Amino acid sequence: MTLNRGIISSPDERDMFIGWARAPAVDRRFLVAALPLGLAGVGGAGYALAAALDDPGAGAWLTGATHEVEGVFSRTPYPMLRIADPAAPFGMRTILVIAEGKCTSALALDAFAGEAVRASGVLIERGPRRALEVPLAHQDWIAQLDAPPSPALAAPAEEDLGPVSLAGMIMDSKCFFGVMKPARGRTHKACASLCIRGGIPPSFWARTPDGREAVLLMTNADGGPMGDAILPLVAEPARVTGRLVRVGDIVQLRADAGDYAPADA
Amino acid sequence: MGHKYQAIQWNGNKLVYDAYVVIAGVAFLGAFFFVGLAPHPSGHAADPVVLAIRALGSAAFVFLTIILAIGPLARLSRRFLPLLYNRRHLGVFTFLIALAHFGLATLWYHGGGPLNPLVSLIVSGQPGDPFPGVPFELLGLAAFAILFVMASTSHDFFLNHLGAPVWKAIHMGVYIAYGLIVLHVAYGYLATEAGPLAPALVYGSFTGLAGLHVASGLAEWRKDGAMSGRKGPFGRDWIEIGDPTRIPDGCAVIAPLPRGDRVAIFRDGRSLYAVQNACRHQNGPLGEGALIDGLITCPWHGWQYSPRNGVSPAPFSERIATHDLRLESGVLFVSARPNPLGREGATVAIGGAIVGGYNGDAAP
Repeated sequence: MTLNRGIISSPDERDMFIGWARAPAVDRRFLVAALPLGLAGVGGAGYALAAALDDPGAGAWLTGATHEVEGVFSRTPYPMLRIADPAAPFGMRTILVIAEGKCTSALALDAFAGEAVRASGVLIERGPRRALEVPLAHQDWIAQLDAPPSPALAAPAEEDLGPVSLAGMIMDSKCFFGVMKPARGRTHKACASLCIRGGIPPSFWARTPDGREAVLLMTNADGGPMGDAILPLVAEPARVTGRLVRVGDIVQLRADAGDYAPADA
Repeated sequence: MGHKYQAIQWNGNKLVYDAYVVIAGVAFLGAFFFVGLAPHPSGHAADPVVLAIRALGSAAFVFLTIILAIGPLARLSRRFLPLLYNRRHLGVFTFLIALAHFGLATLWYHGGGPLNPLVSLIVSGQPGDPFPGVPFELLGLAAFAILFVMASTSHDFFLNHLGAPVWKAIHMGVYIAYGLIVLHVAYGYLATEAGPLAPALVYGSFTGLAGLHVASGLAEWRKDGAMSGRKGPFGRDWIEIGDPTRIPDGCAVIAPLPRGDRVAIFRDGRSLYAVQNACRHQNGPLGEGALIDGLITCPWHGWQYSPRNGVSPAPFSERIATHDLRLESGVLFVSARPNPLGREGATVAIGGAIVGGYNGDAAP
C-alpha cells in the first residue's frame, strides 16, 4: 500500500474509487486483502472481549418452573418464608419473598404474618440462599393453611455471634441471588438501588478470610429493615462495623446506615 | 447527486458495502455471544440479557471507532476511499446497535421499579439523592442523543435543506459523542470489570484515533505550508501558487486562502482551472479528487462539476464557485475571491510536457 502523502494527489495513485462506478483494480486488490483482515479483527475483538469478562457469579433464576413450599410466613424484617428442612442447618430454610420486578414493598402480606402458608413462585438460589419470586398483580400464589404455625419456624432462636468489621459490597438480594449475572459493580448500581428502594432486601457480600463467599442479610441495628439511607453505598466497595446475629438458618448483619462507609474512606 | 430524493439510492457498491457491514456486525456479536454464553471457567454462566447489553455496547464502540478512523485514513491513502463512500450507512447501522443497547439497558436495569425507567436513567447518576456517583448513564444518554440527531438527519433531504456547512457541523458532533462514550465506558463498564483487555481496547482505540487525526492533520498542515499563500505582485487578493507544471495532469493542488477556505487548482492537459475546494454535497475535498471524463470528481461520493464554470452536468444543477487564475513569468497565481456561482473563472494554459496525473491514458 502506498500512502498518499496527503492533500496533493499523487501521480502514483491514478486510480480513484468513485461510488457509482466499478472500483479500480488497485482498490479491488486492496479490499480483497484488507476486508477479510478487518472482519477477522472485528470478530476477534468480540471474541476477546467476551473471553475477558469477569466471573458472572453464582446463582440461578429457575424460570419455567413453579416452586411450591409450605412454611411460616414472616413479615419482618423482610417478607420471608421459613420452611422445615431436616437436611438444612438448624432444621429449617429461610426463603425471601420477592415480587416480580423491583417493587416488593407493594406486596400486601400483613394478613399472613406469622401464619402457616402454602406459597408458590419462581425460585432464585445462590448457594444456600433462596428467594421466591411471586406475582405482584394477584395473591393466588399464597394461601393460609389450616394447621397452626410451627413455633420453631414462627419464632426461631436467635444467637448473637458478636461484633464484626467487614469489607464487601451491598447488593440487592434478588439480582445477586441469580436474576442478573453479573449483578455487582457500577453498571448494576442503579438497578440495585432501585431494587432496594423498592423493598427488596439488601445483602452484604463479603469474603471470609479463607476466601469463601459470605452473603449476610442486612438489617438495622435493631433487626428491622434497612432504610434508603444506604442507597449511596450500594454496589460500591464498602466497610461496615456491626453485629452478626443468627436467626434460624440465616445470619443477619445488624448495623445502622451510619455504620457503613466507602471502603476507600 | 441530489436530483431527486429516494429512501436510499442503491447501487452495486452500496449493496456490497452494506453486506460487509452486516457481516461485520454478525461477526462481532456472534463471536461475543458464542464465547459469552459458554460457562465461565468458574462454571458460572452469564445472564443473556446482561451479555446482550455488553455485546451491543461494545459493538457500538468498536464500529464508531472504525467510522471515525475512515476519514483520516482516506485522507492519508486513496485506498480507503471505498470505506468512506457509504460511511453513512455504517453510521446508521451503528446507531441501531446503540439504540438496542440503550433500550435493553434502560429496560433491564431501570424498568420494573418504583421510578419510570427514563426518569431512573436520568436521576440515577446525579450527585446527592437518590443515587450519587459519576453519572455514567447520563454520559451514555447524552452520546445517544447526539447519535440520534445524526441518524435522524443523515438523509440527503436534510443535507440539502440544511446546507452542507450546517449539516456538517451537526455531524461533527460525533466527536463529542465519541468522547462521551469513552467516559461512559470508563466510568461504567471499566469500573465494573477487572480485566486489562477492555481498558486496553478503549484507551488504545481512543489514542490510535487521535494519532490518525493528528497524522492526517499534519499532512494537511505540511501541504498548506508548502502552499504558503504568499502574496504576489497583483495585490492581496492574489495568492502565489508557484510552478504550475508540477501539478499532475488530471489532478489538483490545494491552497489555503486567507479566510480559511481552500481553493483547488486542477490541471487538464495544458489547461488550469481553479474552484472552491469544498464539495456541495458534504464539503468533501474536491482537490483530493480527480478529473474524470473532463469533470472534477469528488473523492468522497463522486459528485461532479465542470472545471470551467463549477456547474454539475445535466440533469444535476449543483454549483461551486470558480476562482480566477493568472500566470506571470511561469508563476501561477490564484484569486482569493470566489467568482459568483455559475460564472466561468479565468483560466491559464501552460506549455511543456504533460506528465503523470489521473488522465492515465495520456500519462506515461
